[in-house]
Amino acid sequence: MFELTDQPIDFAALRTRLARPDAGACVVFEGWVRNHHAGKPVSRLEYEAFDELARLEGEAITSEAEQEHPGCTVLCVHRTGSLGIGELAVWIGVVSPHRHAAFLACRQVIEEIKRRLPVWKKEHHSGNLAEWVNCTTESVAGRLAPENYYARQASLPEVGAAGQVRLAEASVLVVGAGGLGCPAALYLATSGVGRLTLADAGKVEVSNLHRQILFTADDVGAAKATVAAARLRAQNPLVKIEAHASDVTPANVRALVTGRTAVLDCTDNFATRFLLHDACRAAGVPLVSAAVYRFEGELNVFAPHQTGCLHCLWAGKPALSLETAANCDGGPVFAPTVGLLGVMQAAETLKLILGLSTPADLTSTRLVNLLDASTQSLERPADPTCPVCSKVVTSSAAEDGSFSLNTLNDSVVLTAEQVVDLGPVQTIALLEPGETLDAASAPANTMAIAMADLGRLREVAAKGPTVLTCRHGLRSVALARLLRAEGRPNIHALAGALSAIRPGR
Amino acid sequence: MTASRQLHIKFFAVLREQAGVSTLAVTTSARTPAELYAELAATRGLTLPVALLRVAINDRYATMDTPLSPGDRVVFIPPVAGG
Repeated sequence: MFELTDQPIDFAALRTRLARPDAGACVVFEGWVRNHHAGKPVSRLEYEAFDELARLEGEAITSEAEQEHPGCTVLCVHRTGSLGIGELAVWIGVVSPHRHAAFLACRQVIEEIKRRLPVWKKEHHSGNLAEWVNCTTESVAGRLAPENYYARQASLPEVGAAGQVRLAEASVLVVGAGGLGCPAALYLATSGVGRLTLADAGKVEVSNLHRQILFTADDVGAAKATVAAARLRAQNPLVKIEAHASDVTPANVRALVTGRTAVLDCTDNFATRFLLHDACRAAGVPLVSAAVYRFEGELNVFAPHQTGCLHCLWAGKPALSLETAANCDGGPVFAPTVGLLGVMQAAETLKLILGLSTPADLTSTRLVNLLDASTQSLERPADPTCPVCSKVVTSSAAEDGSFSLNTLNDSVVLTAEQVVDLGPVQTIALLEPGETLDAASAPANTMAIAMADLGRLREVAAKGPTVLTCRHGLRSVALARLLRAEGRPNIHALAGALSAIRPGR
Repeated sequence: MTASRQLHIKFFAVLREQAGVSTLAVTTSARTPAELYAELAATRGLTLPVALLRVAINDRYATMDTPLSPGDRVVFIPPVAGG
């Protein structure tokens, strides 16, 4: 639960509200007003929030944390108005049966509050000087400039700024947070895949630690998906990481895969593999699948319109016999084998998103053997009797092996070049208090609107294609998504910061 | 009497362990992968039923009744599901 208040926060009363007989842990975070900021003395603070948006976003943040950390109850209160030194600006309390989940959830809430909550603060310095500070720039994510984080990757000619935007727009589901899923998800997160969901119902076991590299000894007993998500958020706060700490089933698989840019099969059984494969085909989503046996592994990318599918390989063979044959030896694992195959899954997924996949990538099984460092590619021809893919009418794009992801994504974030391709648009510079627009250096036809004036923004956006910009390039994306969620498909955000916006004094 | 032919065989995963080797050159009168696997199962102690396996000939998946030619490279692949 999230609340905004202009009254002093009564933390004793809040703590009482969280009391639960089954709770064994209560983790509390308090954000205090301090007497200095960025090397300057501060005498008091004023917080101003855009009420409607702040309450919605705050509620979203606390309920996300409760969903991702089952058993946790979260209460967060944020102050507005004038605060003196030492006063409570934000209070977060999390209770849970066990401490581990409560620590993770509390940390997640304060970082998301800092990153997403539309709150501005005015710092009063001695001598009546005052300046507005956007709180998001104080979050961990706000301090990281994407152009620095991805500098060594975006400078690859095969990636570039446009590739980085494609990655940021991508949504990837990783099923299985084990030996394959840990390294796969790690590289997808650090490469800037904008939305990453980890699905795994399991809990961390001691015998997982030698190969499942997102987990530490402290995590034993905690939900894999939740711990892995927290670890990835710390690794790259610039991307959205979600945890689905339950099984993928016939009942939920469609909702999980629909709309994804790609899905990774990092599971250890044929039943889930077939379930994912068929759901991905139906939803038009490519599936990047891997499996290992001791020192050997295999990798398959199944593009949704391609023949030579999972059924061509293994259909007609009884599922139970496949499981028995595949697991006949009780499961010893050479850790680098799952590491290598998981990293290969990440590489194939990034190639799909960036348009770098070769026709052979989508029509071959790659075999790897770490004992003799050999690799082999086997072409997967269509089985003309395949009950699944033989009925597919192949398009010309599928026949030449080039599979385009463009049709799957309706881009929110656009580069300047992509904006030009849109034709005439209304560009809006969203200004925070104190900021000004230098019209001479702004794109033609740029209109300045106060960030908090959602009504005016909706009014302008209703007239036609609209591109939002702001000084840091973060809030504009958040507002574009908010307006899209209201059913306005013509709204976009410009990738990156708009230098024509001048900061306040 | 069928002429014998030389083939290059590769085993993957559990078949490699059962066979004790990764690759093998054999001279055989087997006409198809199914016949070849039956021979190898007997001589090498392979326990998986042929119905559960996939085969590739010359870097392309094939069926167990595909005719074999001299010099073919044959890979036997069991189901693998570790993750």
